[in-house]
Amino acid sequence: MTVPVIPIASESSGSNFIPASSTPYLRSPRNAAVTPSSLQWSIANTMSLSSASSTLLRSCARQQLPTARAAVTSCQQRRGVSDAKASFDSPFVNAGERGSTVKIPNFSKYKSNSSPRTNQVFSYFMAGTMGLASAVGAKATVQDFLVNMSASADVLAQAKVEIALGAIPEGKNVIIKWRGKPVFIRHRTQGEIDEAREVKWESLRDPQTDEDRVQRPEWLVMLGVCTHLGCVPIGEAGDYGGWFCPCHGSHYDISGRIRRGPAPLNLEVPQYQFPEDEVLVIG
Amino acid sequence: MAGISNAIYQSLFRKNAVYLTAIFASAFAFELSFDTASNKVWDSWNAGRQWKDIKPRYLVKDEEEDDD
Repeated sequence: MTVPVIPIASESSGSNFIPASSTPYLRSPRNAAVTPSSLQWSIANTMSLSSASSTLLRSCARQQLPTARAAVTSCQQRRGVSDAKASFDSPFVNAGERGSTVKIPNFSKYKSNSSPRTNQVFSYFMAGTMGLASAVGAKATVQDFLVNMSASADVLAQAKVEIALGAIPEGKNVIIKWRGKPVFIRHRTQGEIDEAREVKWESLRDPQTDEDRVQRPEWLVMLGVCTHLGCVPIGEAGDYGGWFCPCHGSHYDISGRIRRGPAPLNLEVPQYQFPEDEVLVIG
Repeated sequence: MAGISNAIYQSLFRKNAVYLTAIFASAFAFELSFDTASNKVWDSWNAGRQWKDIKPRYLVKDEEEDDD
């Protein structure tokens, strides 16, 4: 009845013995971890499987255990001897002093001489400098992308139109092309200005004062695109003395505001300025 | 030395808000000064070769042609 137990004990002791005698430095930790407790666990597992012969097995295990324990301790002793003979000086085992098991390295060479607060200020300063550099770099990166997306200088140069206003007599319309779209410029008479300002603008469809639509009251500048579907209105036409869109019959007054018809908004006013007295720059 | 670093610590690093504000303010100042300095280096390196250096010659010529 001892036959099924013997192979377990002999196998484990053999696997401990063979590497210990042949290659003491290449011993794997798995073999070194085979302890009597694990042997007991395997035996107990076997006992649960065959509960009928449990008493016999337990007695066999008690008989076999001392041999296995002796094998493990002998192997551990051998390892200790071979390590002591080696030239490698482990930092954790001090063989020279008896009773001392741990050797603490000397770190005083690396210790800072300045005060802790000085070291703290230095490390915070370095971290802050890093933050400074990354903030500047991030700003430059974002700015480069945004500048890349904006219009280049040649496009901007073409995007402006300069008009000499001295050639436009009072009471006349001029249509010029700006960025592919027509722009109406009207030199309004004083009567037209008064007419545009007398309108009760609060009740209009797109309420806007005439002062908001012009920089100089005698010069009305606006995009010649009907806000309904994009036709070009006809000047000096319509019921309100301004512009009339022939496509669907929108009437604009002398300030370019929608008065009747399907268009929802007033004629758009572009950005423009008067750099000199008689010069108009649109764009 | 410890007194100076303690003063710096108490004034600048102790509060995180002050620390971050100081970082961004100094980033702004650094960028401004860095851009100015690099522009000056570039202008001195390319002195006499840029449009703003040779502009008076051509503008005078243009005006003479206009006069003609």
